[in-house]
Amino acid sequence: MTTERKPFFSARDITKSFSGTQALKGVDLEVYPGEIVGLVGENGAGKSTLLKIIIGAQPPTSGQMTLHGQSYQPQTPMDANANGIGMVFQEQSLIVNLNVAQNIFFGHEKEFREHGFINWGKMNKAAAEVLAHIDVTDINPRKKVADLNFATRQMIEIAKVMNVTNAQQGKNCLILLDEPTSILNEGEVQNLFKQMRRIAAQGHAVVFVSHRLDEVLEITDRIYVYKDGTSVGTLNTAEATEAKLYEMMVGRPTTTEYYHLNQQTKPEEQVELEVRDLGLHGVFKHVNFKLHKGEVLGMCGVIGSGKEEICAVLSGDELPTSGQVFLRGREVRFNSPKEALEQGVLMIPKERLYEGVVMMLSVEDNIAMSNNKQIAKGMLCSPKAVARQADHWIDRLRIKTSGRKELLMQLSGGNQQKVVFSRALASNVDVLILNHPTRGVDVGAKEEIYLLIREMVSQGKSVLLLGDTLDECIGLSNRILVMKDGEMTGEFDASVEAKPSQVDVVSLMM
Amino acid sequence: MDHRVDRSAVTIADEFAEKIRQSNRKDRIIRTAPLIVLAVLIVFFSLTAGRGFASASNLQAILNQLAIPLIVAFGLTFVILIGSIDLSINGTVGMAGSVFACLVLNSEYPGLNMGLWGALLAILASVVAGFLVGIIYVKLRIPSFMVSFAFLYICRGIGMLSYQGHPPTIRDPLFLSLAKASFLGIPFITWVAIILFGVCYFIQEYTAFGRHIYAVGTNESIPRSVGVNVGRVKVMVFTLGGLLFGIAGVVGAIRLGQGQVGIGEGLMFPAQAAVVVGGTSLAGGKGGVLNTVVGVLIMTVLSNGLVLLSVNPYIRTGIEGVIILVAVALTIQRSRQAISK
Repeated sequence: MTTERKPFFSARDITKSFSGTQALKGVDLEVYPGEIVGLVGENGAGKSTLLKIIIGAQPPTSGQMTLHGQSYQPQTPMDANANGIGMVFQEQSLIVNLNVAQNIFFGHEKEFREHGFINWGKMNKAAAEVLAHIDVTDINPRKKVADLNFATRQMIEIAKVMNVTNAQQGKNCLILLDEPTSILNEGEVQNLFKQMRRIAAQGHAVVFVSHRLDEVLEITDRIYVYKDGTSVGTLNTAEATEAKLYEMMVGRPTTTEYYHLNQQTKPEEQVELEVRDLGLHGVFKHVNFKLHKGEVLGMCGVIGSGKEEICAVLSGDELPTSGQVFLRGREVRFNSPKEALEQGVLMIPKERLYEGVVMMLSVEDNIAMSNNKQIAKGMLCSPKAVARQADHWIDRLRIKTSGRKELLMQLSGGNQQKVVFSRALASNVDVLILNHPTRGVDVGAKEEIYLLIREMVSQGKSVLLLGDTLDECIGLSNRILVMKDGEMTGEFDASVEAKPSQVDVVSLMM
Repeated sequence: MDHRVDRSAVTIADEFAEKIRQSNRKDRIIRTAPLIVLAVLIVFFSLTAGRGFASASNLQAILNQLAIPLIVAFGLTFVILIGSIDLSINGTVGMAGSVFACLVLNSEYPGLNMGLWGALLAILASVVAGFLVGIIYVKLRIPSFMVSFAFLYICRGIGMLSYQGHPPTIRDPLFLSLAKASFLGIPFITWVAIILFGVCYFIQEYTAFGRHIYAVGTNESIPRSVGVNVGRVKVMVFTLGGLLFGIAGVVGAIRLGQGQVGIGEGLMFPAQAAVVVGGTSLAGGKGGVLNTVVGVLIMTVLSNGLVLLSVNPYIRTGIEGVIILVAVALTIQRSRQAISK
């Protein structure tokens, strides 16, 4: 580390709102030359959003950034690159049908132009040099990226970003890495770390975002902890422990009334749904659990832990590659969501806008969509029956609408979600998979949805819950399962008197 | 209490890597599928249609049939590579052929005798049409199939207007001789297609523009984020398409000895089929002109072989449809990705 301790990059009080919701409520980040900074926090804490602002992919709503003592306002990722800031995105951004060299110098082909033609040989040589710079000597720059494995592709991404820094000639560069290790194995991770240390030793700096705390503690010099779009603190890695970080990452638990804990019931003995050694190749495996009648079973895990895909398998959206699913003791295999629905399993999807409702249809049509059969007589479906059904649910779930003919797009998010719930309830299923049931819903409507879940469960329905927040998942559930990297890492009893703390749960998630 | 995932065992990350390897292997097999289909067809027709198929005269006939579909399909390949579609082909080809015949020495407008300039102007008209399709698609954000569909009619209209209902017969001795000319036993118009293949392959493989086409087709946001002007790439692709369709029109008029919009009729769908059968993905970003050569060969050999087997023409069309479906089913990488842009 240099003797002169002065940050060369700083972001102050950065905020960002997307159509109403605030993703960043004011975060800070300072980076000194030659250091590796870790950025940790739960999903939705704002890490990725901040990186996208720094790289110029999104403008901040407010706040200031400075680089080398000057105001820094990138309009595009190109601006950022020109200033020596590069980023490896979580999703890979290579063009698989181009070769390695063409990917590394993508958009910079002009630098190799001679007499109007591009000198590809020169580009290949330059690519080999860039790769050698990060200790990769076994990749032929002429090879198509489609023919390489994922870890190698990741190294090419890094080479691509390093190329940005090489062009900076002496100035300090900033490399942003967003979850670069999630698909790498141990050896590959160590190689990546070696490169990160090398970059830092040259006086550049690296910002490392990861949900793997052990890795963050191993590689970084300093750690920022973000929570709900704010920075809660920074500490030197030497003084940090996993326990300390967990503590900082999780929020204060909400009051018991909020989740209507007084209405939490004990589940019955009877098993509704059982999963034995379930697996989806390359996504999750060895998943075992039982869902009892009248139980809310919460599933916690970061994005990519496999919990979403478990829901997809259980709701018939995808077929498992191993293991068995039992419904009321009988083995089942759902080829489609329709089959799952017929057997009594239904998922309320996360993306309400795209998967849950039809905005241009009326409330009554939206409710009747999946259960026309129940109210139809033969091929015909009487408008009266549809109307009767709609009125029933509007009344029961207190859906705020001017009438059953109102278009769904005119309802608030919470009321749209209630329409989705009424459809689920009308189809009379026993097992409901709730995937972020309160996403994008205001506080009042949230409470009503909680109450509704309590009510459904007390009537004997079983719920598999992916909560929008950890707090919500703990508050609503009878039992909690924790997933990490595609495998189950733990289980907690979450009965009223024995709710686990968020720290306990998070420590198994990361 | 240690619940950490044991990294020494087969982890999900390893499984994921294995999955990618598998899909790569499958991809490589899929890449060779069009060639296998072509080989099977050639062997099949050689055995069943006997010497009629594998004769020098039939080879000449196939080469002759090949030229215009090839030129058209090259232009369309680039459009499909960026994930768009061009339905204007019949119109632009017909227009270029008609305008060309009007501008050279011909039976209807004897006063006009522009010679080679006539050919260049006719091609230019088609280039302008392609450019306009591209610019309207990009600037007004109208789906390319809609814009190009409109231009199908616009260009057909211009073509018909150019000769006022009396298709001009070409009288220019140079162009009349070109229709019959051949070099090394290969017809002149086929040479045009071969040279254009070289040019297109060079553009595709060895220019930044060609590389950017793949990037735009794979995921627009990647080239955009490194500062590639994605809109410009798209407009250039449609303009290049216009250029090739224009050349096809002129070549078609030379072959027919007459200019009329009919030159373009029935070209578009076989070209689409050939491009896709060759293995170029409708979703964009995958395939190329080499695939298209294979695709056009499949289509041409198929129709030629079925004719030689004297299959009832009505049934023939049906069989062609089925074979296209089979070839595409073999070639396509099934995914949830939507394939219309």
